[in-house]
Amino acid sequence: MLRYILGRLIGIVLVLLVVSIIIFLLMHAIPGGPFDEDKMPLPEAAKANILRKYGLDKPLYEQYARYMWAVLHGDFGIPFQSPTETVVGLIGRTWPNSLVLGMVTLLIALPLGILAGALAATHQNTWIDYTATFVSTIGLTIPNFIIAIWLVLFVSVRWKLLPTGGWGHWYDFIMPVIALGLSPLALTSRYTRSSLLEVMRSDFIRTARAKGLSGHQVLWGHVMKNALIPLITIVAPQIPNLITGTIFIESIYRIPGLGQFFVTSIFRRDYPMIMATLLLVALLWSLIYLATDLLYTVVDPRVRLDKKAT
Amino acid sequence: MNKAIAPMFAHNAWLWAAMLILALLVQACAPAAAPAAPAGEAPAAAGEPVKNVLGKEMPADAAPLDQQVYVYPSRNEITFTTIDFYEQVYQRGDALTDLLSDSLTRLDKNFEIQTGAATEWSVDDTGLIWTFKLDPNLMWNDGTPVTANDWVATFQYGADPTHAWDFTWYFNGVIKNWEKAVAGEVPVTDIGVTAVDDHTIQFETQTPAPYLPAMLIYSTTLSKKALETTGPLYNSNVETSVSSGPFKLAEWTKNQRVVYEINPDYKGTNVPYIQKVIVPGYGDGTVLAAYENNEIDFMPAGRISPADMQIIQTDPDLQTQYHPQNGDFRTWYFFFDSQQPPFNDLRVRQAFAHAYDREAIAANVVKQAGIPAYSYLMPGFPDSNSAGFKATYPYDIEKAKQLLADAGFPNGEGFPKQTLKLRTAAAIPLAVAQAYASTLNKELGIDVEVSNMEFKTFMEELNAKPTGIQFGQISYGMDFLDPSNMLGVFLSNGRHNWNNAAFDTLVKEASSMTGDPAARTKMFQDAEKLLVEDVAGIWMHHETPGDLYKPYLKGAALEADKNGMAAMHWPGYSGFSTNLQDIYISNDVSNFRSTPPQ
Amino acid sequence: MSSTALPQSRLPAKEKELKQRSLLGDAMRRFAKNKLAMAGFCLVALLVLIAIFGDLIAPYPYDEANVSQVLQPPSAEHWMGTDQVGRDEFSRLVYGARISLTVGLSVQFIALCIGLPLGLAAGMLGGKVDWLIMRMVEVMTTIPALMLALLLIAIFGSGLANVIIALGLVSWLDVCRLLRAQLLSMRERDFVLAARTVGATQRRIAVNHLLPNSLAPLIVSVTIGVPAAIFAEAGLSFLGLGINDPLPSWGKMVGDALPYMRVYWFLSVYPTFFIAITMLGFTFMGDGLRDAFDTSMNR
Repeated sequence: MLRYILGRLIGIVLVLLVVSIIIFLLMHAIPGGPFDEDKMPLPEAAKANILRKYGLDKPLYEQYARYMWAVLHGDFGIPFQSPTETVVGLIGRTWPNSLVLGMVTLLIALPLGILAGALAATHQNTWIDYTATFVSTIGLTIPNFIIAIWLVLFVSVRWKLLPTGGWGHWYDFIMPVIALGLSPLALTSRYTRSSLLEVMRSDFIRTARAKGLSGHQVLWGHVMKNALIPLITIVAPQIPNLITGTIFIESIYRIPGLGQFFVTSIFRRDYPMIMATLLLVALLWSLIYLATDLLYTVVDPRVRLDKKAT
Repeated sequence: MNKAIAPMFAHNAWLWAAMLILALLVQACAPAAAPAAPAGEAPAAAGEPVKNVLGKEMPADAAPLDQQVYVYPSRNEITFTTIDFYEQVYQRGDALTDLLSDSLTRLDKNFEIQTGAATEWSVDDTGLIWTFKLDPNLMWNDGTPVTANDWVATFQYGADPTHAWDFTWYFNGVIKNWEKAVAGEVPVTDIGVTAVDDHTIQFETQTPAPYLPAMLIYSTTLSKKALETTGPLYNSNVETSVSSGPFKLAEWTKNQRVVYEINPDYKGTNVPYIQKVIVPGYGDGTVLAAYENNEIDFMPAGRISPADMQIIQTDPDLQTQYHPQNGDFRTWYFFFDSQQPPFNDLRVRQAFAHAYDREAIAANVVKQAGIPAYSYLMPGFPDSNSAGFKATYPYDIEKAKQLLADAGFPNGEGFPKQTLKLRTAAAIPLAVAQAYASTLNKELGIDVEVSNMEFKTFMEELNAKPTGIQFGQISYGMDFLDPSNMLGVFLSNGRHNWNNAAFDTLVKEASSMTGDPAARTKMFQDAEKLLVEDVAGIWMHHETPGDLYKPYLKGAALEADKNGMAAMHWPGYSGFSTNLQDIYISNDVSNFRSTPPQ
Repeated sequence: MSSTALPQSRLPAKEKELKQRSLLGDAMRRFAKNKLAMAGFCLVALLVLIAIFGDLIAPYPYDEANVSQVLQPPSAEHWMGTDQVGRDEFSRLVYGARISLTVGLSVQFIALCIGLPLGLAAGMLGGKVDWLIMRMVEVMTTIPALMLALLLIAIFGSGLANVIIALGLVSWLDVCRLLRAQLLSMRERDFVLAARTVGATQRRIAVNHLLPNSLAPLIVSVTIGVPAAIFAEAGLSFLGLGINDPLPSWGKMVGDALPYMRVYWFLSVYPTFFIAITMLGFTFMGDGLRDAFDTSMNR
């Protein structure tokens, strides 16, 4: 197993390398650059100045080499859109906010989702099931920014219960967590239900019941563990998305998080930020995949990751 | 109390008791009374006029000094780390900026040029050398005096090729050697901005530019000393920030808010009433909600969505707080690549012009946000002649069809498929484009798709040689109040692929003409005639942006201007304008908020 | 008599020949019995019909602007009101069914075409192949659809095809991973061992045994994937990178309606509702399909 993990970690490094090359090429292939032309086109000379200032006049491979060399020394450059700080500094002050919001959302939405799904599965085709399905459909069909805006309109403007947004108080979490959490809650609930239903009908469960185990013991001791595999597969990818922030929620609730930079950096052609944010996401995804694969082995001892199929 | 609850109370003494206790509890927890007066301010004796920190006497109906706080929303989706014009112009989040130093000239609410940091100016007989005399009292709040060297350093920084300023186009062809310095062909010390002595600046222009003082509202200077000690981003942090202007930087939490406080060491003439300015970032969709919640005092026109507009129009209170103004005399228009088929044929452009129903679209789609545009220069802008062009290309589908047939495309047959490209258009220009495209499709039989392009991709395509945009939509608003500014956009080799030598000559000559205003006006109007008749663009509407602001914002700056318009005029609450001097918070504010915003 | 054959007279006349019961036949029978699944199926079928016969149902063309009738609330003339340039919402919704369903289904189709074989290979072959494919998945996951879309559009221009390609290129990842996860878990099960013992080839095991048992989460994933693709397209259209006007897709209509939301709620509610019922339909249908193919159920 240890060899396997080591192999995976090496794999992660390689993945990051490949991702860095692909992103680098992609972002330079997109037309336009980090110069602003709003009213009048920038004179050629001025444009050339800007490109020279950011080192963009050098050939691509040289730019990439310089970038990677700096990265190896921990220097991810200076964001074009925020030249008073470093990329590391900018991410360092904005990511924790997104992270906290994401973790809180997960810690609330996941258990609720599993509970709802379990309730639905164990009371299949009753009103409990239908309600749970309905609620989870809401969470999945209405875009979270629409939920967010409606929340502000009702909770803040009409009922004056909360300020329209902001960050720094415990109550600033309430609306964003609801808006962000409905979707993972719904997804978790649906997959829990479907997984549980499938497992509940299998033979070994019948055996367990026949042995005289109570419903609860069957559910939590046997059914859950087996239903977890597809659940983990679906839930785990929610995590990188949640903890790196969503632009819409953060914009609506004025949360100074990392979310907006994923979109605005691309629009502003802020190459250092694009590289840094996407590499961060790549790292998170890779770690999540590793974690989920390891979790599979814990949950289902039959899973052997290091064995080649015979 | 609503009817359902009252009977409940009548019958239940316990409920009364509970409510009473609750009320007492709420009272106890309510925020304390207004905080003590800020330090440095002597309590006014009864009957004596109140003076603020800079010694300016407050109007009789002004709110107490701690309530003189102005909250204005910026765009939180834009990260910005500079508030200085000469560091960066675009991408500053639409925040309130340029409050940390004075510019040489200022605009008043009637768009007239007033003195600023410069007390007087004159030009010599050649029309090329300008002399600006500076106010000798101006000081930086680190103890250094403000001198002409500050402006020289600032302009040189603007032209510096390694700085790569995004506004260099502004002085192209105006300041001597500017373009060459930007291109790196001559050192920046060669540009036509020199310090004759500590309090006299000399500008040398390439051709006579009578509008130079108007252009120089954009001259909020940086501190030469701070530039050398800290670098051009010295105002991005409170510790290194230096101010010679009416406000100083008090707090800047990046991606959240900027806070300015009145600068007690300010020695200039743009003395404000307001003592604190807070600029928090807000995302679209929640600005009106924040305004209604009394979190902000001002909602700029650009943040008002069509739904917001409808709410304002149907709410009598909000309607009184809505103040339309001319903004920056912005005109929206469709444009063509007039050098390539099919739009190189005047008849085709004319057909398109006759197919645009500007009255109906302005009335139904644009509504309060604009007036139909018959020409490029908006009524109210110098030398505009909107009425004169009303009959040039009226909405006439039959004529459009005829012209199109004449050009060889009867019923649109054979006309190449078009993509009408927009530049990240907001709701209203987008709707206008959709309406126009629909008319072109249905009435003229031309296949048009509307593509709302991402900003930079659009600009790349526009500026590509040859241009990638055959049929597009864009707007322009003035930078200074002179026709040479607006009309200059259409000069050959400018941003639009419409080249007309006669137009170029007229505009260039008129721009540098001094002495005969009537002749100058005639030349500009003739130039505009060419623009309109040759269909360089199809004029959509002129913006009449309306801002929403609270009734407790008062002052001479907000009262009717010479045209009867009562609003906060462009450029708003900024060091470029005298508005700063005449806006205060009245004591009506207590009806809206009990404690000043923190 | 010592004959071992069943006396013919004992058997009901109908079942003289024992028909081979196929998986598909079984599944269809079970599906038909499931009321909720049938409801979902009917809903989806209805939507598909609307998409195909939209031209006949819609009272107005979807691109006819009428500026004197902008932003009208629902009325007898315009059942769902008009949009910001006076186009009939109902007609646009009907035509939008075509666009949205095309986007949703095409994207998932691409996802399956790429994801199924790759997931199968990863799960079955394991080892280096698995490693390679999973690393590819990780790499692809980080490339934002936004960037890909921006690039495609910069090169080829905006439009429906590019949106579908861009979304398809990022959608196969879930399918691949789900399939692999299921295969990993089932590879070691007894019935696979049994199959191998009797000499079934790798391929036979994969296709005849493993694949049918992996269908459940795959189906659920695809059924969630269709509305997810519709959402993603909405996001892209909202940012100006999606389909061009006047083409309506429900997602784009929701995005366009955002500045109008507080007052002209009908512009965003109806498309949202349509996306919701599409989702419901696919959900119930998906659940039903999953139940139907569940070979461990003995109904």
